[in-house]
Amino acid sequence: MSALQPSSFSVLRARGIAKTYPSGDRTLAVLTGVDFALAAGETVSVRGESGSGKSTLLNILAGLDRPDRGELFWGTEAAHDLSLGELTARRSRFLGMVFQSYYLIPELDAFANVLLGARMLGGVGAAERARATALLRRVGLAERGHHLPAQLSGGERQRVAVARALMNRPAVILADEPTGNLDERTGDEVIGLLLEVCAEEKAALVLVTHNPAHAKKTSRQLVLKNGQMGYG
Amino acid sequence: MPWPIYLAFKQLFPSGRRVPFFTLISVLGVALGVALMLVTMSVMGGFGHQIKKMIIDTQGEVQVRARVLLDQPAAATVEKALAASPAVEAYAPYATGMVMLEYQSRPAFPAVQGFNYEQMKKVVPLGQYLTAGSLDNLDDDSVILSSVLASTLGVRMGDTVSLYSPLALERAKRNELLLPREVLVAGIFHVGHQQLDSSTVLCSLRLMQDLYGLEQRVHGYNVRLKPGADEHAAAAALNQNLPAGTRALTWFEANADFQAVLSFERNMIFFLLTFIIVVAAFSITSSLLVTVVRKTREIGLLGAMGGRARHVAACFCVQGLFIGLAGTALGLALGFALLHFRDDLVGFIARMTMGREAFVKFYQFSALPAHTAPKDVALIIIFSVLASTIAGLIPAWRAARLQPVEALRSE
Ligand SMILES: Nc1ncnc2c1ncn2[C@@H]1O[C@H](COP(=O)(O)OP(=O)(O)OP(=O)(O)O)[C@@H](O)[C@H]1O
Ligand SMILES: [Mg+2]
Repeated sequence: MSALQPSSFSVLRARGIAKTYPSGDRTLAVLTGVDFALAAGETVSVRGESGSGKSTLLNILAGLDRPDRGELFWGTEAAHDLSLGELTARRSRFLGMVFQSYYLIPELDAFANVLLGARMLGGVGAAERARATALLRRVGLAERGHHLPAQLSGGERQRVAVARALMNRPAVILADEPTGNLDERTGDEVIGLLLEVCAEEKAALVLVTHNPAHAKKTSRQLVLKNGQMGYG
Repeated sequence: MPWPIYLAFKQLFPSGRRVPFFTLISVLGVALGVALMLVTMSVMGGFGHQIKKMIIDTQGEVQVRARVLLDQPAAATVEKALAASPAVEAYAPYATGMVMLEYQSRPAFPAVQGFNYEQMKKVVPLGQYLTAGSLDNLDDDSVILSSVLASTLGVRMGDTVSLYSPLALERAKRNELLLPREVLVAGIFHVGHQQLDSSTVLCSLRLMQDLYGLEQRVHGYNVRLKPGADEHAAAAALNQNLPAGTRALTWFEANADFQAVLSFERNMIFFLLTFIIVVAAFSITSSLLVTVVRKTREIGLLGAMGGRARHVAACFCVQGLFIGLAGTALGLALGFALLHFRDDLVGFIARMTMGREAFVKFYQFSALPAHTAPKDVALIIIFSVLASTIAGLIPAWRAARLQPVEALRSE
């Protein structure tokens, strides 16, 4: 299908991805052959009914889960040939993830949460601190760096999560219903911000969402249906 | 700082928040175990130290013992060797044995130590243990009794007691007249050591030699070393120069049986007390396991951010280590504080649990001895830190086994 058509060099490419789950004594075929390509800096939205396999696909693209079949390329690297451990080692540089429930570390303040990704890559120096500060300022939380997640609103937490995902300058951001827990106005703000900073940071974005208005803001709108990817 | 250590520290001591209850409880558990071990081992060490002091104060640091008896020429050789040793400060000959002591038809069978008082007072400060009388009054017709012996027989200072030696029994066998030696009680001593106080008689060397028919012979020498001299080295050096049939023993060797019992006791108590820390370690394991379950989704997130499973595991293992370190430090502080104020504490407990009169009687014990051996402290530290770290291994293993996809999906 035409979903496999990168406009230029693709940073993320999947071909014939299939995934089944055992369900009682039968199997549940969630993904039956997903083809997908993401160009550098591109923004793509993925919609689909609940249970259509959006999260499953995103986890496979992120290298957190293995497909039963299919090829996955991270840049030029054949991710399908790597073990989950090897994928984990490469993940912190290659992509960042944003989740519906934020998943901030409650013991760390906003600044330390943003900085955690850099810590995982090694030392934290002045450059990393400056970047974390700049990202926090960019998402409008310059004054809230020393607040713990419990002291922030949902929208603010998700903005911290966006800054954290971008910390290591990943090529790709995978966002799984990032506004699912937010009210409409806050959700609109977060999506606007996410698209802006991804553009500024030149990170490609895959946005899983149920909201057609949010999907429209991306450069390409895809739909996951019957285990396959197609245009909406 | 590697991120697992950083995160472990933050989870135990979050910035800008109070220390979590679980951290506090775990640290306290280890601390109590460590404090109890330190106090117990120190008090046991204190008693051991007191016993050592009593032994040295009554026997000297080193004893030269003859296999049988030292006659005059042999004694002269021993004295020459002692005089030549640079570590020796003073020495005094002794003769020992058992006698039957009778007071108003009540018999006892104490050990007798005969010594030359003029020489002996340079070797051991026996005088400081006298509760009645004086060593200066000790002549060849008087004795000094140990406190328990005197009180069981009802003997007071100035009373006369009869001594029967094995030699007298020999004579009785040959139908010769059995004449006891009547001696005056010139003093009572109390060392505070059960064995020594229960049944000991001190007398002059000449009296002992008479009782046993030793003539000029002696059993050995008590030796005092110069301050700072090492008793093991001194005894070893002496053994190079002593005549055949004699051996220099350190105070420890001379009482080896008794010391073996003491050290067995110490080891046993140490072993039993380690279980307190093992129990504290179990509580660390269970609370860290709860944490792993509670933080399942965050553990998934760490995986999604590129954290390797072994680093996630390390994060929990390090939490055990930190709890161990903090608990050990707190426990040592608590233990040393308890030791420092032990007299007040014992006094307080005495006053709370018994009346005033009982307290006065109890007061003797309020001078609780304590001696902390660096070796014990090192052992306690190693054991408690190790146990706490091992306690973190099971939760760490659980955390490492979590697959990020499943962890993130769990609600
Ligand atoms: N580990 C699993 N074991 C069994 N079934 C699973 C597992 N993970 C997902 N599924 C099933 O796969 C299907 C797709 O799940 P997935 O979470 O990808 O859907 P989704 O499109 O993200 O839905 P939603 O919009 O509600 O988030 C669902 O029917 C789900 O029950
Ligand atoms: Mg989903």
